[in-house]
Amino acid sequence: MNNIKIKSKNLNVYYGDKQALFDVNLDLNEKEVTALIGPSGCGKSTFIRCINRMNDVIDICKVTGNIEMDGMNINDKDLDVVSLRERVGMVFQKPNPFPKSIYDNISYGPKIHGKGETKSELNQIVENSLKKSALWEEVKDRLDEPGTSLSGGQQQRLCIARAISVNPEVILMDEPCSALDPIATAKIEELIDELKKTYTIVIVTHSMAQAVRVSQKTGFFHLGKLIEVGKTEKIFKNPDNKMTQDYITGRFG
Amino acid sequence: MNFVLLFLITIFSLSLFFYGRSKTKSISIEKNIRLNALPKFYGYYLVLWCSIPALVFLLVWSLFEPVIIKSIIIETAANQGAIFSDKNEANLIYEKIKAIHLGTYFGDIDSILRESALAYAKFINLFTNSKVVLIFGIIIASVIYSLKKIKNNNKARDDVEVILKGLLFVSSLIAILTTLGIIFSLLFESIKFFSVINVFDYLFGTNWSPQRAFVRDASSITAAEFEELKDAFGFIPLIAGTSFIAFIAMLVAVPIGLFSGIYMAEYASIKVRRISKPIIEILAGIPTVVYGFFAALTVGPFFRQVGENLGLTVSSESALAAGLIMGIMIIPYVSSLSDDVINSVPQSLRDGSYAVGATKSETIKQVVIPAALPGIIGSVLLAVSRAIGETMIVVMAAGLAANLTINPLESTTTITTQIVMILVGDQEFDSPKTQSAFALGLTLFIATLILNYIAQRAVKKYREKYD
Ligand SMILES: Nc1ncnc2c1ncn2[C@@H]1O[C@H](COP(=O)(O)OP(=O)(O)OP(=O)(O)O)[C@@H](O)[C@H]1O
Ligand SMILES: [Mg+2]
Repeated sequence: MNNIKIKSKNLNVYYGDKQALFDVNLDLNEKEVTALIGPSGCGKSTFIRCINRMNDVIDICKVTGNIEMDGMNINDKDLDVVSLRERVGMVFQKPNPFPKSIYDNISYGPKIHGKGETKSELNQIVENSLKKSALWEEVKDRLDEPGTSLSGGQQQRLCIARAISVNPEVILMDEPCSALDPIATAKIEELIDELKKTYTIVIVTHSMAQAVRVSQKTGFFHLGKLIEVGKTEKIFKNPDNKMTQDYITGRFG
Repeated sequence: MNFVLLFLITIFSLSLFFYGRSKTKSISIEKNIRLNALPKFYGYYLVLWCSIPALVFLLVWSLFEPVIIKSIIIETAANQGAIFSDKNEANLIYEKIKAIHLGTYFGDIDSILRESALAYAKFINLFTNSKVVLIFGIIIASVIYSLKKIKNNNKARDDVEVILKGLLFVSSLIAILTTLGIIFSLLFESIKFFSVINVFDYLFGTNWSPQRAFVRDASSITAAEFEELKDAFGFIPLIAGTSFIAFIAMLVAVPIGLFSGIYMAEYASIKVRRISKPIIEILAGIPTVVYGFFAALTVGPFFRQVGENLGLTVSSESALAAGLIMGIMIIPYVSSLSDDVINSVPQSLRDGSYAVGATKSETIKQVVIPAALPGIIGSVLLAVSRAIGETMIVVMAAGLAANLTINPLESTTTITTQIVMILVGDQEFDSPKTQSAFALGLTLFIATLILNYIAQRAVKKYREKYD
């Protein structure tokens, strides 16, 4: 069993008057993949957006309770959000490369954080990130082409490379494969397997099969509550909760 | 008379609507058949058939009646022994005859005029009567035709569709044709102008003084006069003045408009937006003549005062005052267009940037603005084309002298100002001076057309990328 990297305690989230998460207590282990499943609107995205404080962007969103990373309170008002997001990267449901060159897409983050001061250092970062995201071979000769000219699957790997480029400890993935075909999905899953050696990964997915394939731990959300969490094998073989059972067998959701 | 006819046609066709509707209903009940369309479509069908032919006839008749009566009356007057040597005199006599008929003529009336006036009255009567008879004839014929169709249970819904389509088509045809007409008249007058003045003398001449060509028929110009005219129509000072003032305007409008657009799109809370957006749009609705007198009466003299205090000579009509006010006028365009463009940059791009730890201003500077750039450039180009076409402000505040200068404190002039100056007051239609206004108009038209085209391409390309 790996160390606990992130720990949420009684986490509540409100959008205006509407409560989206209720007392969520969830631990994420270091260098492991945790999958979050549950029917649409149950708060999976809301939960992972708490980990890198992306909910700050939404005016009406209010977060209470505790969420810690290596003992540091992420929810602290005085926390430097910029350096938090440097440590916690994110990949979105729809690939969202910037309308810049492939190279600039990757070098954007490091430049902002003052990493890679010389050109060759920056080149190195770009190359490493693209290699880690298994895209290097496909794009090494066309780094100055726009990132938007890549295929959907390549774009998503570019976004993963962009997340990796600032050397985070945690990577959050919100349905990273939902816009991709099976082959591109397989590639990303393979990549996730490789990445978990270095990073702590949280993945939201609607595909039970994907959760089984990539994750070691699975949490099931329903109507803003964490219903059950445990080893992926256990959750999918014999869950404790009837609702979990119903969901994974496709009886609702 | 025409109004009475219009009124009658309207009332009659509207009442036919109710008749058609109830008639078809009762037919379907009586004969126990299924109608081919809802009863109301039979109503529409009758209305359209009753009104359109009559209205078209009335329109055509009204267009041609005066022309025909006029030629008949002039003919009659000539037969009576009236003498006129050209068209103008004939027109004069015709106007007299009309005035006599209306009782508003107070000069001497000789027998020729009196006879002609009687003839005029006779023809007016005849024409009016036949008009009324014909219109009723047409209405009756078309109503009989359409009633027969209705009784045969025609597909009224489809027929109404066809008629409406025709109406819409004719409307758009009129819109297009009038535009084409304007363009062609610009073109033909310009061609006349360029048959006297060489295109290159016009395009590259540095001296603009069209008053030299005052009252001079293009066809009767002598070689010596031509030499003198040759360099009176140099376009360079005008385009220089126009661009200069537009440039000053853009210096004001682009930064302020763009920054306020960015603020509106990225920083302003929903509340602030809801209040300030309409306020900015009100600015865009202020008539330009208001800006014009503000520039001429307030800002111009103010600059001159300040200049005097500083020991500078500032003309009270200066490029600076005109450009500044024009810039203020354009701010809302740039602001609201760039606000729209920035707003349509997808949120996911911002999220992507925040997620690697960028701050808001870094995100705006490095992701949002570059993504929105084509659209922003497009909106700036649209603003430029407004600036060079703007007339009122420059007429009131920029001056008339075609100085070739880059001193913003001096007065300059613009293309639009010169067109106004040339066309106010009495005109000789054939003089190169008057025709030069058309040439200027054509040049301006082409310039703004190109700018608008490029701008719209830029904006559209940008839209395609994110929709
Ligand atoms: N920006 C927002 N403003 C208001 N309510 C929101 C906002 N984002 C999410 N919500 C609400 O919070 C609840 C949880 O939404 P969330 O996006 O976390 O669901 P999800 O589990 O990710 O669903 P999906 O699988 O469809 O992505 C939903 O009821 C949603 O309506
Ligand atoms: Mg979601």
